[in-house]
Amino acid sequence: MQLRRRIVLILLAVIPVVFFSVVAFTTPDRKVPFRLSSLDGNIFMVASEKQIALVFFAVAVAGFLMSFLAMNLIQKNSKINRRLIVCGYHPFELLLSNLLALTLMIVLISVYVGLITSTFFHVSHLGMMIFSLALTGFVYGGYGLAVGSLIEGELEAILLIVLLANIDAGWLQNPIFYAEAQNQAIIHWLPAYFPSQSAIIASFTEYSGTSASLSSLLYGSGFLAFSMLIFYFKMRIRK
Amino acid sequence: MILKAENMIKSFGKKMVLKGVSFSMEEGTINGIAGENGSGKSTLLKILVGLWKADKGNLQINGKIGYCPQDPLIFPQLTVDEHFQYFAAAYGLTRHHFQERRELLLEELNFGQYRKEKVCTLSGGTHQKLNLSLALLHQPDLLILDEPYNGFDWETYLCFWDLTVQMKQRGCSILVVTHLLNDRDRFDKIHNLKDGTLT
Repeated sequence: MQLRRRIVLILLAVIPVVFFSVVAFTTPDRKVPFRLSSLDGNIFMVASEKQIALVFFAVAVAGFLMSFLAMNLIQKNSKINRRLIVCGYHPFELLLSNLLALTLMIVLISVYVGLITSTFFHVSHLGMMIFSLALTGFVYGGYGLAVGSLIEGELEAILLIVLLANIDAGWLQNPIFYAEAQNQAIIHWLPAYFPSQSAIIASFTEYSGTSASLSSLLYGSGFLAFSMLIFYFKMRIRK
Repeated sequence: MILKAENMIKSFGKKMVLKGVSFSMEEGTINGIAGENGSGKSTLLKILVGLWKADKGNLQINGKIGYCPQDPLIFPQLTVDEHFQYFAAAYGLTRHHFQERRELLLEELNFGQYRKEKVCTLSGGTHQKLNLSLALLHQPDLLILDEPYNGFDWETYLCFWDLTVQMKQRGCSILVVTHLLNDRDRFDKIHNLKDGTLT
């Protein structure tokens, strides 16, 4: 239903382009050596600051968009969903339909954002990089579902999403910042950590990002399980 | 007897909203529950529909419920036809039965010309017609309407009363929960809800 709103489609197409345009116009091309915490500490990678920023923003934009879409999907229709449950649907049937819609959006957004990123530079493993963006969508989509299920007010939910997405995906996971950050353990526990690691590994190296990918799946599944429980308890009717 | 509620009690914290509500409804009757804001109408309605559970008391409903909420709970981006399909699946209607009911309701409430239109492009009156139709799609034995007069335009209001005649003949009971009852002579029984107690 979200995809039937023309303005939503336009924004979904335009927002990543705006993000990447800002990066392309403002970030220098100088080469930067950096390490990734999910790889061996002795492994240094060298990439241009612009390329690193592009991958970092690809992860951020996928996370932002999916968390907002997921939150909207579950929160906007909560009263109608309860009516449908009174009419005979089981809460899990409605949850499943939401998850299918979410999966479709994750695929569309990650492919779109991945392809745009690849127009700026040669991505080492484009398929794996797109998969990493899908994992970001899964983790942050799960977060959006959890917030949308838990919080009734739209503004409060938006603020919660902006808070985490800005701090995590939009700031702390930038590998250049991260390399010098104090208390890196905190950053390890944030939702965008594993998908970011996976995306950077896929974009710039020949190493395997399997561990980071699996951890992303685990993280996203946690959010998903939590949101499913909240949804079920809020939607169940008592007859 | 289609509905029997006995000594229903519901509290929120220390505030007791329903203080032992008991009433019953016979098949083929129109009942009204009238009460001012804060009298406990919404709480009682949510318990009757199944959205909430009473703390104490017994509720027995012998048949299918049709619930028509006060504000149209419909999807703005779906068409009228898609709403019928979506709700027919929820009710578990067969394709033939659903199509028959849909055509009948579109004709009786006179909004068949909008069946292919997205709901967000339609008027408030048509939203109300769709809202009511979705509650009637599965031919409920008990139709529960929450503040129907608030949203009905004059045409829908008249259509609604025409429909109630047929529904009563079929044995369907209708419960109207509202803060202001019009046309009192159309009701078989009117209950007044005041401070959580029916009089």
